[in-house]
Amino acid sequence: MTTIQRIWRLRSTLLRLRATRCLDCGYVSFPPKAACPKCGSRNVVREELPKEGKVLTYTVLNVPIKGFEDQAPLIVALIKLGDARVLAQLTDVKPEDMEIGMEVVATVRRTAPTLDGVVPYVVKFRPKEAEQRITLTASSTSTNPASSSKTNKASESGQTP
Amino acid sequence: MKSVYIVGVGMTRVGKHTHLSLRDLASEAVLKAIDDAGGEKPQAIVVGNMLSSLVEQENLAALIADHSGLRGISGFKTESACSSGGSALVAGYSLVASGLFDKVLVVGVEKLHERPTPDTTRGLAYAADADYELIYGISFAGLNALVMRYYMDRYGISREEMAWWPVMMHENGYYNPFAQLRKKITLDEVINSPVIADPIRLYDSCPLSDGAAAVMLTSEKFKSINDSPIKISGVGDAVDSPDLSSRFELDRLYASRLSAERAFKMAKKEAKQVDIAEIHDAYSIIAAITLEEIGFAEKGTAPKLWAEGRFRKGDRPVINPSGGLKSRGHPVGATGVYQAAEIAMQLRGDFPGMQVNGDIGLSQNVGGVGSNVITLIYTR
Ligand SMILES: [Zn+2]
Repeated sequence: MTTIQRIWRLRSTLLRLRATRCLDCGYVSFPPKAACPKCGSRNVVREELPKEGKVLTYTVLNVPIKGFEDQAPLIVALIKLGDARVLAQLTDVKPEDMEIGMEVVATVRRTAPTLDGVVPYVVKFRPKEAEQRITLTASSTSTNPASSSKTNKASESGQTP
Repeated sequence: MKSVYIVGVGMTRVGKHTHLSLRDLASEAVLKAIDDAGGEKPQAIVVGNMLSSLVEQENLAALIADHSGLRGISGFKTESACSSGGSALVAGYSLVASGLFDKVLVVGVEKLHERPTPDTTRGLAYAADADYELIYGISFAGLNALVMRYYMDRYGISREEMAWWPVMMHENGYYNPFAQLRKKITLDEVINSPVIADPIRLYDSCPLSDGAAAVMLTSEKFKSINDSPIKISGVGDAVDSPDLSSRFELDRLYASRLSAERAFKMAKKEAKQVDIAEIHDAYSIIAAITLEEIGFAEKGTAPKLWAEGRFRKGDRPVINPSGGLKSRGHPVGATGVYQAAEIAMQLRGDFPGMQVNGDIGLSQNVGGVGSNVITLIYTR
């Protein structure tokens, strides 16, 4: 279990997904590094990564490590965001619906408590498709005020925000 | 630089040793290695270990030397996750090659069966990046699973092809009296074993192990202590990122390739000359990628080759006649030293399990998901 100090130190990197870009060779690294992993240059700058990307690979943990037991089955993926990759938890998706290439967007969610008992927030990713469905439901409601049955159906299935 | 020889080996059986402490295991291996070296005592001891904090013990060089009747010699511990034993060998090699000492004992020891499994599993995950991986609850198996799914998808490897590796390892390890899991298994048992971190199943993974292994290293001056001294003719060591996300490529292990290249260059040998090798198959996917990085298989083909029956006894090279990490077991900080002891015995012709005839051996010990890799080349 992590400490609140760690979460606090990493807050801007973790929540805004700030990588380092090398100004000499262009290599983008997340996690950020003090010097470029590719060419060794210290001429690196912080750069915020895009918040949408694609799943490169994923795993489903029936037994996450100690401290995360409540989150099983835990889906963790490597996600391609622009020129970098980020490791993160997936949310709002069932293990059987996961696939390589799935489009995902960042969202901020609670994670396991720290040793000090604080519940930190971190970036997780959810399928982009789910967001599109929400947008569609919302727009169909506004452009089609008469079709209230549609809206009801959506809220029953838990798709409305 | 002076030449360095292995003149004595010792090891405990790998397994769950509730009745043996860390010092019991380590001193058993140390004393066996000293006996095998004709009773010659070392001037220094180097200890490979990752997680002795699980048994609330650090300061291992002093503990083990003192318990083994070696009070007063020099010593220290090395740590590089699962390749801590390999790092101990590099350090021990350097102490002899530099001329600082003529006789150095390298011992690897690990005791994982002391605490409840969740504590041990969490401890093993300390090999990952604590800031950017561990905080998301992913286990070490989970990190390997990410690489396995990516590799299988990219190269069109089937579940059955991957599963042939543990079947082969358990066949080899069946004959090894020091192995933890001495039982043959079928393809169906692998494919239907419980999921640990999808797509990794139980038999795609090594077991949790206790164990210790030791080798006595000497300079040319003392090599005749043993009738069959084995020369360490190549040493290669390289690091990569502990985190997977900033890797150059997800289906390659950069440090495995670099360490093998360095060892081959130093030994003036090539992959095709190797008769026998012990590689680090903590997970079958790591076996696949390291076989390719060392140069024993083309990129993306290793599982297809082993499914066709390659790398078994009678082929060249023979890989993991010990049973590898799957069957012999993986006492983390001891594994690299087990590999060295096994290859030395193979080249001497007195390995008590599956004996392979050959003149050139190789071992590769992998820390993390390939973040620290040591390759050694051995000649008769
Ligand atoms: Zn650069």
